[in-house]
Amino acid sequence: MKGLSWLMGWRLLRRELKSGELTVLALALLVAVAAMSSVAFFADRIDSALTRQASQLLAADLVVNSRAPAEPAWQQRAQAQGLQQVATATFPSMVFAREQAVLANLKAVASGYPLRGEVQIRTRQGVKQGVYSPAAGEVWADARLLQKMGLQLGDSVRLGSRSFVLAAEVLREPDGAVDVFNFIPRVLLNHADLAATGLVQDGSRIRYRLLLAGEAAQVKTYRDWLAPQLKPGTRLEDIEEARPEVRSALERARRFLGLTAILSVTLSAAAVALAVRRYLSRHWQSVAVLRALGQTAPEVATVWGSLFLWLGLLAGVLGTLAGFGVQALLVYLARQWLGDGLPPPGWLAWLTGPLSALILLAGFALPPLLALRRVPAMAVLRADVPAGSRSLLAPLLALVALLGLTAWQIGDGPLALWLLSGLGGFLAAVALLAWGIVVLLRRVPLSGAVGWRHGAANLARRPWLAVIQIAALSVSLLALLTLTVVRDDLIGAWQRSLPPDAPDTFLINLQAPQRAQLAQAFAKVGRSAPDALPMTRARLLAINGKPVKAADYEDERAQRLVEREFNLSWRDAANPRNQIVAGQWWQPGSSTPQFSLEEGLANTLRLKQGDTLTFDIAGTTWQAPVTSLRKVAWDSFQPNFFVVAPSGWMGGQAASYIASYRAPDAGFNNRLVAALPNVTVVDISTIVREVRAVIDRLALAIEAMFALTLAAGVLVLWAAMAATRDERLYDVALLRALGASRRQVRNVLLAELAWLGGVAGLMAGGGAMALGALVAVQLFNLPLALNLWLLPLGMLAGGSVVALAAWPLLRRVTHTPPSEVLRAN
Amino acid sequence: MTSSSVNSAILRAQAVSRQVSYHGQQLAILHDASLAVAAGESVAIVGASGSGKSTLLAILAGLDAASSGEVWLAGQPLSALDEDGRALLRRDQVGFVFQNFQLMPQFTALENVMLPLELAGRADARPAAAAMLQRVGLGHRLDHYPRHLSGGEQQRVALARAFVLRPALLFADEPTGNLDPATGQQIIELLFELNAEAGTALVLVTHDTTLAARCAAVYRLSAGVLARSEA
Repeated sequence: MKGLSWLMGWRLLRRELKSGELTVLALALLVAVAAMSSVAFFADRIDSALTRQASQLLAADLVVNSRAPAEPAWQQRAQAQGLQQVATATFPSMVFAREQAVLANLKAVASGYPLRGEVQIRTRQGVKQGVYSPAAGEVWADARLLQKMGLQLGDSVRLGSRSFVLAAEVLREPDGAVDVFNFIPRVLLNHADLAATGLVQDGSRIRYRLLLAGEAAQVKTYRDWLAPQLKPGTRLEDIEEARPEVRSALERARRFLGLTAILSVTLSAAAVALAVRRYLSRHWQSVAVLRALGQTAPEVATVWGSLFLWLGLLAGVLGTLAGFGVQALLVYLARQWLGDGLPPPGWLAWLTGPLSALILLAGFALPPLLALRRVPAMAVLRADVPAGSRSLLAPLLALVALLGLTAWQIGDGPLALWLLSGLGGFLAAVALLAWGIVVLLRRVPLSGAVGWRHGAANLARRPWLAVIQIAALSVSLLALLTLTVVRDDLIGAWQRSLPPDAPDTFLINLQAPQRAQLAQAFAKVGRSAPDALPMTRARLLAINGKPVKAADYEDERAQRLVEREFNLSWRDAANPRNQIVAGQWWQPGSSTPQFSLEEGLANTLRLKQGDTLTFDIAGTTWQAPVTSLRKVAWDSFQPNFFVVAPSGWMGGQAASYIASYRAPDAGFNNRLVAALPNVTVVDISTIVREVRAVIDRLALAIEAMFALTLAAGVLVLWAAMAATRDERLYDVALLRALGASRRQVRNVLLAELAWLGGVAGLMAGGGAMALGALVAVQLFNLPLALNLWLLPLGMLAGGSVVALAAWPLLRRVTHTPPSEVLRAN
Repeated sequence: MTSSSVNSAILRAQAVSRQVSYHGQQLAILHDASLAVAAGESVAIVGASGSGKSTLLAILAGLDAASSGEVWLAGQPLSALDEDGRALLRRDQVGFVFQNFQLMPQFTALENVMLPLELAGRADARPAAAAMLQRVGLGHRLDHYPRHLSGGEQQRVALARAFVLRPALLFADEPTGNLDPATGQQIIELLFELNAEAGTALVLVTHDTTLAARCAAVYRLSAGVLARSEA
C-alpha cells in the first residue's frame, strides 16, 4: 500500500503539472531554489578560493609593511631567529616602451621571493613555476601591460632612468593572485636595480615590505618581539589580514547577493503558501473520495506528501541547475577580477537548493497537508469545507530556517539581521499603508462608473489578499525601479558633477626643480602651466597640546586619519575653488603660524576654529592654531588638501609637487613623462572609464539576481490572483447571468487591478525615491535630489505589470460561459 | 426479523440516533433508526430534502459515526472500529455511487476505475478496469478525463468504479439527481443490471418514489424517524 501511495503521488504530480494546477507552486519553488543555490555556489567558490590562496596571498607568513625600508635591527633579529626574509618595495610609476608611457604598479623583489607560494611565468623557454625572481637588469610584466603597450618578450623597457629587458610575462604572483578591481598593470624588477632607476625620491609613495617565513612558533616569537616597538604607519600583516580589500570587495558582493536572495526567498515563500493553500482547497474533495473508497488517513497523507516531496525534489534539482547557471554567469561577468582560477563548488553548495525547497514545503505545505488527514470521508456526501490550519508556527519556523540559511551564506549574522529588519520594516510599512488604503476604499462611498466602484469594492472585500498582493508587487517594482531609473539617475548625476573642461590628468611626485621643466613643456604647446602645489606628509600628534590617539575616536575614518599620515600643503592666496565657511584666510605674505582645515576633516576629528594642532613633518614638530575652515569640492578633480599652512611659514620644506590639467594633445603626457621620468602621470579618463565599466558589469551581475526577485514578485501576484480565481469566476458568472455585458465585467476586473497596481506602484516609487536619495547622499556624496517622476512612473509600471500578469486570468474569466461556472458550483 | 435474516444480513442498524449540537442546543437529526439488508437484497430509503437521508447513509456506510445505537457491516460492529478500520472495511466490502459522481478529476476514466482495484492490491487492475468500462459502454473513452465526459458518462464511470470489485454492498446516493430523465433512466437500468450480475446488496437513497419502487424493500425517512413502508 505504501508503494501504491508513492506511485499515486508521482502519477498525480505528472497530471497536475500537465494540467497547470501546480504551475505557480512549482515556479515559486524553482525561483526560491535558484536564488538560494546561486548565492550558495558563489559564496562557496569565493570562500574556497580565499582559503586556498590565503597562505600564498602574502607570499610569506608574516609581513612588516612600512613607509620606510625595514630597520636593520629587525632584519638582524629575524636572521638570529632563523627566519627567512626577503624585502620588497611597491609603488606606482610610469613605464616607458615603444615611445609610450603607461602607469604601472612596480614591485621590486629581492632574490628568494616568494617565501610562500610560487610564481608562474612565461619566458622564451616556456612556462615555469616555482620560486623565481627577476635577475638584475630584467623585468617581468603581466599580460595587461603587454597588451596595452604591444610588448613582446625581449623588448626593452625603461623604468625611471634605467633600461631593462622584458624577460618574462607574469602569469601568477602569490601576493597579487586575486587582484580584484586592480586594472593597473604590474611590473616586477630586481630589488638591487631599484636605486639605479632614480625613482626613489623624497615624498615617493613607496610601500616597503619585509617578508618573513619560518616555523610557526618562531614567527610568533618574532611577531611578539616586534609588535610593541612599531611606530604608527608601520603594520604587521599575517594570513588573517591578507588582502583585506579583496576580502571586503567579495564579501560585499556576497552580501548583496544574499540580500537579493532573502528578497526572492521571502517572496517565493509567500507564493508557495498561497499556491499550496489553493491547491489543497481545490483537492480536499479528491481526498474525501479516496477516504470513501477505503484509503486510510496515513495513506491519503502519503499520497499528497509524496506528491509534494517529488515536487520539492524536482524543483530542487532544476532550481539548483538554474542557480548554477546564474552563478556561472556572475563568475563570467566578474572574471576580470576573479581570474579563471575559482575552484569548483563543494558538495554542500549543491545541497542548499534541494534543501531549501524541502524546508519551504515543510513550512508552508506540511500544515495544510496534515489538515488533509482530517478531511472526513463524509465530505463526499456533503460539501463541508474543512477548516484549514490557522497556526502560523510552522510557516514562521520555515521562514526563520530559510533566512538563517541565507544569513549563513552571507556569513554575517548582524548584517543579515539588519537587512531583514530593513526588509521587514519596508514590508510592514507597505502592508500598513495598503491596509489603510483598502479600509479607506471600503469606507468611502465611491461615485462614478460601475467598473471603478466595483473594482475598489472587490479589492476591499479580500483585504488580507489585497495587502499581500500589494506588498509583493511593490517589493518587485521597487527592485525594478531601483535598477533602471535610480541607477541611471545616479550615474547621470555623477557624470554631470564632472565639468567638460575638468582635468583628465594628475601629475604627482614632481620634484621642486622640475617645476620649471613642466612650465616649459606647457609653453611649447602654447599653454600656461597648471599650478604645481607642494605636498608633504604630516602626522597629527596633538590637539590643544593633548596627544591624540586613535582610541580617542569611535569613528573608523577618524581612527584611520589619526593613525596615518595625510597630505599637507602650503600656499599664499586662498584657492578660489574653496569656500571659507569659518574664520578668515591669512593675509598674503603672512608668516604667522596657522592652519586652514577642510570642513569634513574638522568634523570627523571634532576640531574647530581656534584649536591648536601639532603636526610631525619628517621629524620636525609644527604647532599652530586653526584660523579657518574650508569647504572643498573633492570631485572637481583638482588637487585639494585637508590641511594648508601659509607659504611664508612652512614654505621651503622638502616636498613633492602635485598638479592637475587637461592634456593639450594625445602625446603630451608621454612626452612629459619621458622628460621627467620619476613623475607619475595618472590618466583619470582611463580610470573613470574603467570605473564606469566596473559599475556596468557589477550592475549587470546584480540585475541577474534582481531578475529572480522580480520573477518571485510576479509569481506571488499570480498566486494571489489564482487564489481568488474560482471565486472571481463565480462572481463574474453571476454578474453575467444578471445581465452584465462582457465589457462591464472586464471593466470591473480591470479597475480592481488598476487600483492594485497603482497603489503598489506608488509605494514602490516612493521606496525607490528614498533608496536613491539615501544611496546618493550616503555612498556617492552627491547632492540630494528627489526624482518625483518615480511616483507616476511607479504607478504606470505597477498597472502594466499587473495587467500583464492578470491577462490570462482576465481572458479566462470573461470568456468562460456563465452556465459552466454556475453548474460546476 | 428472524434470527437467520439477522445472521445473513450484510448490513444491520439497531436504534441508530444522531444528534448535533447547534448553538448550544441538541438537535436530533436521526432518531432510533433500525434496518436490515440481506445479502443481494435491494433497499430504498426515501424522504424529502432535509429529512436526514444523507446522515443515515453516512452512518450506515461508516463515513460518519452514530451518537448512539450500532451498525453492523458484514458482521462487524462499526463502533468497534476506528476511522481507518472503517476505511479498510469499506475497501473490502462497499461500493459507492454519488449524486455528483465524485470522480477524481486528475485521473482518466480508466484510472478512476482502477483505483479500488489498486487499493485492494490487485495486480490485474488495468485489464479488469478496462473490461468493466467496456461493460458500461465506455470502452472507447478509457483515456478521457472526467471533465471531457458528459454527466451520464461520468456516472457510468462511477458505476464501473463501484462494481469493479463486486462489493457485497453498494450505496447509491441519488444516482440520477444530476441527470436528465432519459439519461437517468439509462443509468438506473445499468445499476440494476450490474447489481443483479454481481449479486450485490443495494442501498438506494432517493426522493424518487418510482425509482424506490423497483427495490425489494422501501424505508421512508421523515423528520429523523425511519419506518418501513409497505408499498
